[in-house]
Amino acid sequence: MPRVVVTGLGLVIANGIGVTNAWNALMKGKDGTATLTSFDTSQYKAHRACEVKDFKIDTVFENETAANTIHKYTYTAAKEALRDSGLSETTGCNRERFGIAIGTLAGELPPFEYLLRNAPDDKANGFDMGVALTYPPSSITTLLSEDFGFEGPNMVSLNACSSGNHAIAWALDLLYEGKVDVMLVGGGELIPQTEFTHFHNLKALAPEKCQPFDKERKGLVIGEGAGIMVLETLDFASKRNAEIYAELKGYGMSCDGHHMTAPHPEGAGAIVAMSNALSMANISYENVDYINAHGTGTSLNDRMETMAIKSVFKERAKGIPVSSIKSMIGHTMGAASAIESVVSCLAIKNNAIPPTIHYETPDPECDLDYVPNEGREAKINCVINNSFAFGGNNVTNIFSRL
Amino acid sequence: MKKKAVITGIGVVSPLGIGHQDFWDNLVSGNSAIAPMECLDLSKYACKNGAEVKGLNPEEFLGRKGLRYLNKGTKFLGSSARLAVDDANLEIDEELANDTGILIGSSLGNFSQTTDYFHNIIREGPSNLSPMQSYDVALNSSINYVSVFFKMKSFARTISSGFTSGTDAIGNAIKLIQNGKAKVIIAGGVEQISLDLYMIFYMRKMLAGSDGTGNEISMPFDKRRNGFIMSEGSYVFVMEDHEHAVSRGAKIYGEISGYGSLFSGGRNSDIEKRVEKARNTMKLCIDDSGISPDDIDLINANGNSDKFSDLIEAKAIKELLGGKGEEVPVHTVKSTLGESYGASGAAQTASALLSIKNSLVPPTINCEEKDPECNLNIVNKKCEKEVNTVLINSFDLSGNNSCLIVKKV
Repeated sequence: MPRVVVTGLGLVIANGIGVTNAWNALMKGKDGTATLTSFDTSQYKAHRACEVKDFKIDTVFENETAANTIHKYTYTAAKEALRDSGLSETTGCNRERFGIAIGTLAGELPPFEYLLRNAPDDKANGFDMGVALTYPPSSITTLLSEDFGFEGPNMVSLNACSSGNHAIAWALDLLYEGKVDVMLVGGGELIPQTEFTHFHNLKALAPEKCQPFDKERKGLVIGEGAGIMVLETLDFASKRNAEIYAELKGYGMSCDGHHMTAPHPEGAGAIVAMSNALSMANISYENVDYINAHGTGTSLNDRMETMAIKSVFKERAKGIPVSSIKSMIGHTMGAASAIESVVSCLAIKNNAIPPTIHYETPDPECDLDYVPNEGREAKINCVINNSFAFGGNNVTNIFSRL
Repeated sequence: MKKKAVITGIGVVSPLGIGHQDFWDNLVSGNSAIAPMECLDLSKYACKNGAEVKGLNPEEFLGRKGLRYLNKGTKFLGSSARLAVDDANLEIDEELANDTGILIGSSLGNFSQTTDYFHNIIREGPSNLSPMQSYDVALNSSINYVSVFFKMKSFARTISSGFTSGTDAIGNAIKLIQNGKAKVIIAGGVEQISLDLYMIFYMRKMLAGSDGTGNEISMPFDKRRNGFIMSEGSYVFVMEDHEHAVSRGAKIYGEISGYGSLFSGGRNSDIEKRVEKARNTMKLCIDDSGISPDDIDLINANGNSDKFSDLIEAKAIKELLGGKGEEVPVHTVKSTLGESYGASGAAQTASALLSIKNSLVPPTINCEEKDPECNLNIVNKKCEKEVNTVLINSFDLSGNNSCLIVKKV
């Protein structure tokens, strides 16, 4: 079976555009939270979000509505990742062996919302020829395939907040099977008012800030952006002398089979996801140096995730740094686990851990090392990245230094 | 030795019938499910025909509890999953639940419920909506519902890749069985007719009749064809590791032994490139199955009555099979069933498995003036024939091509 490595990264997040800007912002603990601007929140009790700011794109969209599509973020992050990997200029490769997998929760929804808001009397007004192509979620990957001339398999992973990790897991299996050489993978999300309302009415939105694992945590802050990475077989990467960030060692999936929205109270599914990832990677729990947490800042998730980490990492649990970048960039939903996978690779490359900011009051039920408020340097050889979605849909993936 | 992924249960919620027996009976009789659509007000629009699921009583399969909070797609998927599990005579007990996952393809998922919810937000104000109104509105919430219904613990995954969604879900599921990630997977596809789905097709002039001729008929490979008829439904399988199926004495419909998927270049691709990629996809799938093109004794075509899609498919099949291109029997379920989008590959898989089981090929109706450029051996009358190896084609004009091989065990 081939080994699979990460050779290119791309990020568009609320506290920075481009990998270098974003990583520096994350390490400094820069908060990307601000007043939400893309729609009117006067009828809500929450008004804050982690929107991408000062975004510019080097391509021309057909019209204003098209410029509101998720494609602007996925395209930008994908282009950065490909350039970073050195593959954007590669010719002579068999492009049928280049595939794409992208996760989203509802990345295709905002153009519809934008149109219907302006003409709400008839739902049909939400559909417009100018963006007809972008309504099916599959357009997220078919447009990228067109842009970059990829001719291999492609799919969109619709798995709520674990969409990105599902896409990465799917791609890893294809690479292991030897069907492809290169996979462009990741996730992208805009902030649909629909999802904002959904979280709001479930009382899951924090009024001010996202405080994962803090005793006073009040919920999540919604976010947007994209995280994309280039995966390829080690063989393919070595032949072209590509720079390697990390090896993708495996994934673990599970399903709570418990409830449509609430996680399993003891984290049964989360435990299975982390354990399966370790066992697929053939890595002992003793060798994990950093846990990039799902850490949404909701009461239920953070308690459950802490319990699950303790169960899997036993006596080592309190000695492993656990941090949630959602404190800075919000919960980017379908993109979250992909963005966090990119950050996991950067942690390995830079031997550094971004902090959990807004951490003020310790919670006796959440008693791990959450890297409070300040990033730190540490030797990082192996990272696990958790994603635990609504509906009990869990995927953990695992990266290590090659 | 690679594990084999076999099908032991088929669950169908289709415009052609509820349960695989009704579906099959109508399919082989050439009974069309296509009629003016009743669930949408299409008075403002030119294309009115569709194939709707009728007569489903979800309570029979899912019980009454919580039923009123479930949307149409979830009722389709849940009912078909129940039918498949019962057909497989499978009891998902606590131990097996740990090794049971769900993998479903759907192009839009619950997009229409999501957009309805948004419409309510802007008309009624967000604070007037109860959380139960959003209980089943996530794009993938139907799949979550089924995972909770059967308390399955292995994984839940939803794949969206346009017209090939169901094919890709089944293709992905066989790999997860082959590499031991699960012993049982509830795999298939679901799609529901909605205003959203209609608008997406209507705006792009993909529907039969959008040329203004008034002809709203599904006529695959006929020279008069002018677009497809939209359809809906859920087609779900109990897919098992062969050893597991044998050890519990399960009846086996067939093996899904190969999968292949390629992208044809997208909107700007010319017909030649699309033909080349469609042919390469079929070849990739045949190679994956470890067979040769000569072993194919039936092609379950994408053939959805689209002007270009049918032409590209016919040319690709002839390139793949060479001299045998005009001999190997080809049929499509879409002349009577319509185009069920993300569920269509799963509908085709149900048909392929039932062809193998019953040694019968269903007719492709309305192909009366065959397009000379599509000179395949289109089966236009029900025909008895031993079927061992079926190639399933799923082609999307947006670029995705995916194929499956279904084999007798």
